[in-house]
Amino acid sequence: MSLAIHYDSTFNGFLSAVFEIYRQHLDVSGFVAERSYEVENETPSDLFAVPFHVETSEESANRLRRAIANAASKDVLGLLETCFRSETAGIEMCILAYLRKLFAGLDPNYGKNPSSLEMIPLITIARSVRHEMDNMFGMVRFNKAPDGMYVAEIEPKYDILDMLIGHFRCRYPNGTWAIIDVKRCFGVYYENYRTHFVTVPDPNYVSAHAPPDEFTRMWKSYYDTMAIKERLNPRLLRRCLPVRYWKHLPERSLSGDFQGRSGASSAWAAHSGSVQPLPSTVAQANALASMRLK
Amino acid sequence: MELRDKLNILGDAAKYDVSCSSSGSKRNSPKDGMGCGHSSGICHTWSADGRCISLLKVLFSNACKYDCAYCVNRRSNDIPRATFTPKELIDLTLEFYRRNYIEGLFLSSAVIGSPDNTMELLIKVAKELRLVHHFGGYIHLKAIPGASSRLLFEAGLYADRSSVNIEIPSDKQLQYLAPEKNFASIYRPMNFLAERKLEYKTDKSWYSPKFLPAGQSTQMIVGASGETDFQILTLSAGFYKQQQMKRVYFSGYVPINADKRLPVLTTKPPLLREHRLYQADWLMRFYKFEYNEILDEKNPFLDPDLDPKVVWALRHPECFPVDLQTADYEMILRVPGIGVRSAQLIVSGRRYSKIRLEHLKKMGVVLKRAKYFIYDNNVPRELRKLYPEMIRPLLLTGKPKSDQLDLFDSMPMALPAPAASPPKVALRPPG
Repeated sequence: MSLAIHYDSTFNGFLSAVFEIYRQHLDVSGFVAERSYEVENETPSDLFAVPFHVETSEESANRLRRAIANAASKDVLGLLETCFRSETAGIEMCILAYLRKLFAGLDPNYGKNPSSLEMIPLITIARSVRHEMDNMFGMVRFNKAPDGMYVAEIEPKYDILDMLIGHFRCRYPNGTWAIIDVKRCFGVYYENYRTHFVTVPDPNYVSAHAPPDEFTRMWKSYYDTMAIKERLNPRLLRRCLPVRYWKHLPERSLSGDFQGRSGASSAWAAHSGSVQPLPSTVAQANALASMRLK
Repeated sequence: MELRDKLNILGDAAKYDVSCSSSGSKRNSPKDGMGCGHSSGICHTWSADGRCISLLKVLFSNACKYDCAYCVNRRSNDIPRATFTPKELIDLTLEFYRRNYIEGLFLSSAVIGSPDNTMELLIKVAKELRLVHHFGGYIHLKAIPGASSRLLFEAGLYADRSSVNIEIPSDKQLQYLAPEKNFASIYRPMNFLAERKLEYKTDKSWYSPKFLPAGQSTQMIVGASGETDFQILTLSAGFYKQQQMKRVYFSGYVPINADKRLPVLTTKPPLLREHRLYQADWLMRFYKFEYNEILDEKNPFLDPDLDPKVVWALRHPECFPVDLQTADYEMILRVPGIGVRSAQLIVSGRRYSKIRLEHLKKMGVVLKRAKYFIYDNNVPRELRKLYPEMIRPLLLTGKPKSDQLDLFDSMPMALPAPAASPPKVALRPPG
């Protein structure tokens, strides 16, 4: 009888689940992460699998961490955690397959081999997570709130918000700032050299509290002048800067002349040059992109 | 004039400068200040032409006293002119930086008054950012040709990277198109900065000030004058070796000025040529190719249809096929379709297990190109016996021509021919 393991969607939860699988010799057909938000291409649940809930336990997770670090290395452990952040459908089974081979002990060098058939896909996934993190270093856009705080909203594909904190702490050590992950409804708040995690129930928090101002407009117009008309290359633009990020980048989502508009939320979703507020260019482009993907 | 209009005019005037990288400098955030350098550089956005924007790239002023044929800011052009005050520019940079729009400042300028005068203004901005505002972000300063060495040295203390643009890849053409410039006046600041940087490099003390931590770069225009690709690559290889340049940029000529010395205004920018030159540049920087391996006097131009790595492989059939289990790292790098990452993965992985085609596929090796050049049991045998002349069309079309016969073409042959074809009946109804 195969089981669908339910766990609390954290990496520790996943490790505890793996620990239980080994301890109780469970026959697993899949994992179900209990998330409060929806993930793209979620694994369809197996109709015949019996749900089995595993409680998260720090202790067993730490034991498994030590075991992985001993059998392979700390780098591999970090890599697995990075992969796990991708929230890709079936990533848990990929990691489990790797761990099974690792702990089977058939090949003493398995932990060091970066080109085993289980490792290569994990490396590629971790690479794309890190790639999005690197992109996000540049694509977080802060708006200034009236009280002097800088707030930004992001909507990354992978769960990378806490990988960004170190970078921004180093960059703005004296400021007060917050970054909010709109999709996962949580954020980081930094003040007086401390970071706090906060939950943000309202996805329109940023646009309501820190509407675009004169500097945002200057940035937008500067951005527009930077393009050389003779060299326009929309395909290259979309490859470098995927459409799914445009919504939170003022230079792509803001219309050219919106001084007359009142209300920040309409300005965010405004259609450039058109009177009708809906449908926005971004929404159209998003719909097109998702249709092509299917 | 409003600040926004100034920004638009001076940003517009600076956009033809290609360099916009923010890499190579690792800086911690200064005490009581903000900003840090990220050693691999960060792109903040991409403009509609697909070029990365990571620095606030502006001119300090566009009121130029020179009259270079290819330049949009030349004296004889009738365009709106503007000049920042240092305070405006500093406030703008800091506020943009706080919002994470940019990674730092790229400051260039048209020559106002004398080169020294211009250089002083640029240094003033950089100095104030660093010393008064404790700004730790990236600063790229243009070295103005003709500025005194004292000023160049001072610029190097505050900037992360400095650049002098060579613009036209041959001295004769440069003097023809830009009467006030020549190679000597451009090489002088380059060499000076390169030498100072070398001096600072030997002093490895923790407390010694940094001098141009991200080095120098330069840029040349492609397609405005009649140089060959070989000349361009030779020149840029020289820059990498002698001046220790970090980057040489190529800029496909965009016709902006009507001038009888230049290509006509309707010419399209040579984007493909520029792309191939960058590919060749990558081969020199990351794939350990020499410039004279990529091109030589007999083949002075890059192939527009195939990338330079494939072209090299086709010219050297004696080096292939490569056995991935035993070949050197340098040789694996030279196989078309295998990049730096895959080559490293192959070299570190083959100690533990054999590298087979399915591994390569998962690593992201482009087998479409690589399969003709590697030795593997699973590569079909007929692919191994191909001559370069036979591989070339295969690489161009992407798939080998199938020998399979068309089902319907061969039908009449297979069927017994009808003894006598019935007379054709007119399909049209009579009348």
